[in-house]
Amino acid sequence: MEKTTVVVIGGGATGLGILRDLSMRGVKALLVEKNDLVNGASSRYHGLLHSGGRYAVKDQEAAKECIIENQIMRKIGKSCVEPCGGMFTRLDIDDPAYEELWVKGCKDSGIEATPITLDEAFRLEPRLSRKHVKSAYLVPDAAVDGFRMAWQLIDSSKRYGGQLKTYTEVIGFDTVNGELRGVKVRNQFTGETYEIGCDIAVNAAGGWAGFVGKLAGVEIGVQPDKGTLIAFNQRIVNHVVNRLHKSSDGDIFVPHGSITILGTSSMSVPDPEDTSTSCEEVESLIKIGEQTFEDLRDFRILRTFAGSRPLYIPPGGAVGRSASRGFAIVDHAQDGLKGLFTIVGGKFTTYRLMAEKMCNQICAKLGNNTPCRTADEPLVEEVPQADIDRAKKFFPSYGVNLAATRLGVDRFKKVVARLESDPESRELVCECENVTRAEVEEICKDDTSFIVNDVRRRTRIGMGTCQGNFCALRAAAVFADMGVEPSAKDSLTRMKEFLQGRWKGIRPVLLGRTLRETEMTRSIYELSMNVTEVSQ
Amino acid sequence: MKTSDVIVIGGGLAGLMAASVAASRKQKVTVLTYGSGSLPLASGAIDFGSLENLPAHHPYKKIGLKACDEAAKFFYEVTEQANLPYVGKLSALLPIVTAVGTLKYSALVPESMNASNLANKKKFFIVGINGLKDFYASMLANNLKKYFPNKTFEIAKIDLHLLGGRDITCMDAAQLLTDNEQPFANELKALKASKDDAIIIPPILGVAGDFSRDVVQTQIRAQIIETTCLPPSPPGIRLQRAFMKYLQASGVRFFENSKVVRGITDGKKVTGVIVENAVREKIFPARKIILATGGFYSGGLTMRDFDQPREPIFDLPVFFPTGAENWSNMQLFSDKPQGFSTTGILTNDKLNPIDADGNVLFDNLHVVGANLGGCDKIFERSAGGIAIASAYKGATL
Repeated sequence: MEKTTVVVIGGGATGLGILRDLSMRGVKALLVEKNDLVNGASSRYHGLLHSGGRYAVKDQEAAKECIIENQIMRKIGKSCVEPCGGMFTRLDIDDPAYEELWVKGCKDSGIEATPITLDEAFRLEPRLSRKHVKSAYLVPDAAVDGFRMAWQLIDSSKRYGGQLKTYTEVIGFDTVNGELRGVKVRNQFTGETYEIGCDIAVNAAGGWAGFVGKLAGVEIGVQPDKGTLIAFNQRIVNHVVNRLHKSSDGDIFVPHGSITILGTSSMSVPDPEDTSTSCEEVESLIKIGEQTFEDLRDFRILRTFAGSRPLYIPPGGAVGRSASRGFAIVDHAQDGLKGLFTIVGGKFTTYRLMAEKMCNQICAKLGNNTPCRTADEPLVEEVPQADIDRAKKFFPSYGVNLAATRLGVDRFKKVVARLESDPESRELVCECENVTRAEVEEICKDDTSFIVNDVRRRTRIGMGTCQGNFCALRAAAVFADMGVEPSAKDSLTRMKEFLQGRWKGIRPVLLGRTLRETEMTRSIYELSMNVTEVSQ
Repeated sequence: MKTSDVIVIGGGLAGLMAASVAASRKQKVTVLTYGSGSLPLASGAIDFGSLENLPAHHPYKKIGLKACDEAAKFFYEVTEQANLPYVGKLSALLPIVTAVGTLKYSALVPESMNASNLANKKKFFIVGINGLKDFYASMLANNLKKYFPNKTFEIAKIDLHLLGGRDITCMDAAQLLTDNEQPFANELKALKASKDDAIIIPPILGVAGDFSRDVVQTQIRAQIIETTCLPPSPPGIRLQRAFMKYLQASGVRFFENSKVVRGITDGKKVTGVIVENAVREKIFPARKIILATGGFYSGGLTMRDFDQPREPIFDLPVFFPTGAENWSNMQLFSDKPQGFSTTGILTNDKLNPIDADGNVLFDNLHVVGANLGGCDKIFERSAGGIAIASAYKGATL
């Protein structure tokens, strides 16, 4: 039987943070994830690195955690954070009394909130509504790339011996006399079931934590709370722009590279798998968004997406927007099951802190005294400038740094060597996101790449302007040559699955220029490629 | 500006066809285009879809079978004059090989893509070219094997010294072969394929008619078969050029970068259109207008807000399925038509636009091609057929 010391359940930011922390402290750990990594709330969110301003009135403890972790993240995850800064703007329809509370809340929480004149606000954010905006403050918000941070967490964990298995679902726990002996899992592709022996297991399954708890016979108060977001195909804002009012739907805009994300809604859902979005949700978000940016409807919407916040509901606690964004750690020894822990709640910005607290308890149990170092050591080493300069000969220069930081030192070196030796590998598989064939080939070989969508999350193919129109065919073809059997060879299915993934987010925003892109997709793949294999 | 007998708005397949047909009937024709139409996206083959058992509002019901047959006949005239041979007829479809290795069935097929003899061939050579993007021989072979499990496949890659610069598309390679096809012919000869074999290649045999194909094919005993490709597609562009040649020979006035912004109307007549360029507006008077501006892809239809599709030039009523659940299907590649793709203008049997009550809005305005509503032309595989048949009918009324 396969054995480890700690099994971490769930490949979101929290689970990956725990894997990294344990590995750095010399604890043998294995992470299992039933889908691909960061497939839940850790990628289906704004990509906002909170300053804490959002929580300055309602939850100052969370606000303080945010501002501290915000500073740490900028240090350890430099290439994942876009330090664009944030702005809070109060509109004419918002309560001025809240503004006073908020200013005080920021001060008390240690968040620097600098008032600026409206002229300055319109200079910094020219699209702001001159009609509605009445006051503005600058705060240290930032944008953060959840995917990139995940890959860097994995690289960091692996450097210290951390292991992980994706598409591996927990189906039960092996206990003897109230003590955990192992975790039973199933391979999602082959259906094979087996057990991984361990001393401790951590349930870090986010919105799914309740289901995992049920397998162990313990009840966990987690309420999946769906939030829907819209990605616009332009950089509408230069800063993270927040509404200065009591937190509500559709009141945050976050710039990411060349796009902007607007969100979010808040709706309790029974099933965390529910990442559906609808035209109504989109329309409602736009209606709110255009109070701050009046010309919002003139921008092309790229897609919409949704994720479930894993809100922790203590017995008798509040749900939805009123629920705490704080987190909780439960030692299930209290339920008569020694060796199982659950960590639930929290938010992306504080994942590292959550992991640290969780690992402190685990290490205490294991008698490991090694202190946590995750706040001090950068996630990945910097890619040597010499490699970047070598790559610049073959890369569109805009893409070099992005590729270097998403690939990391070792893989980037391999990719650059391949670009140098094989001219064919220099062609761009994805023109929108500047992804070369060499990079796609390298990622296809990765032990967590099982379908083309996995390659997408790691390289960003298909995530740009054309949403896979051109790269679906190319990626499926490269994957067929380089990917794992037997799924890789079924290139038509992989291609359709990839485009269907894009379609899910396009469908609720099927208007304007998005209609045009969709007609092009269909015309290429149905008419020219007949991927649906219509016969005579 | 002198009054045209016919103004065609749009230079895609439908617009080019309508202008050619009208010109062949000694009409004074003006074509106004903005953008390149969707032919550079197209396979080059003309799909007609099914002509039978159609609902009353289907465009073919307005066009009629006679116009379909005559359109096909006229299409052959145009392509023959341009030395771009096509094969096939409406009653029996021919297979072509796609870039992903599936077979696609079409009514009118470029001869260079006709794969109907594949079943009689012994060995398939799948030939890629070093440095040519978007042709993945092994994927193509693996998928094609499903149709031809008992054939021998050989994958070959030939070098035309394309490597070292920017990415090379089929269009680039086709241009190269137009200039000099001999190096490619020499490489194919070296494969030593027999007359019982087929050589399957990306669609790179030139961009101007079949000239390159003849030169290469006469030197090779095996049948050379071109596949479809990602855009820009040489077979689609060859067809576009064949029509352009025809229009030039018939003295049609062709204005590019001419965005028609609105019509001038007088009761049920359109008397002209207004074209806007960077500096001014210009009036083009006409006795008859053919609206071939395309669907959402080409901008013949637009939709800024949900449930409000528009035809931007004449503000014609646009038919569309209401309600989010009817607008699109859960699956992109669905087993039923996509609602949004059925959006468009409804007409009477003279292809005049009608309102919801069936009243004719303009009796000298004819709507042709992708902006006709009432069916999903992609799902039905009828886009090309509806384009040329409606254009033929619109031009001959």
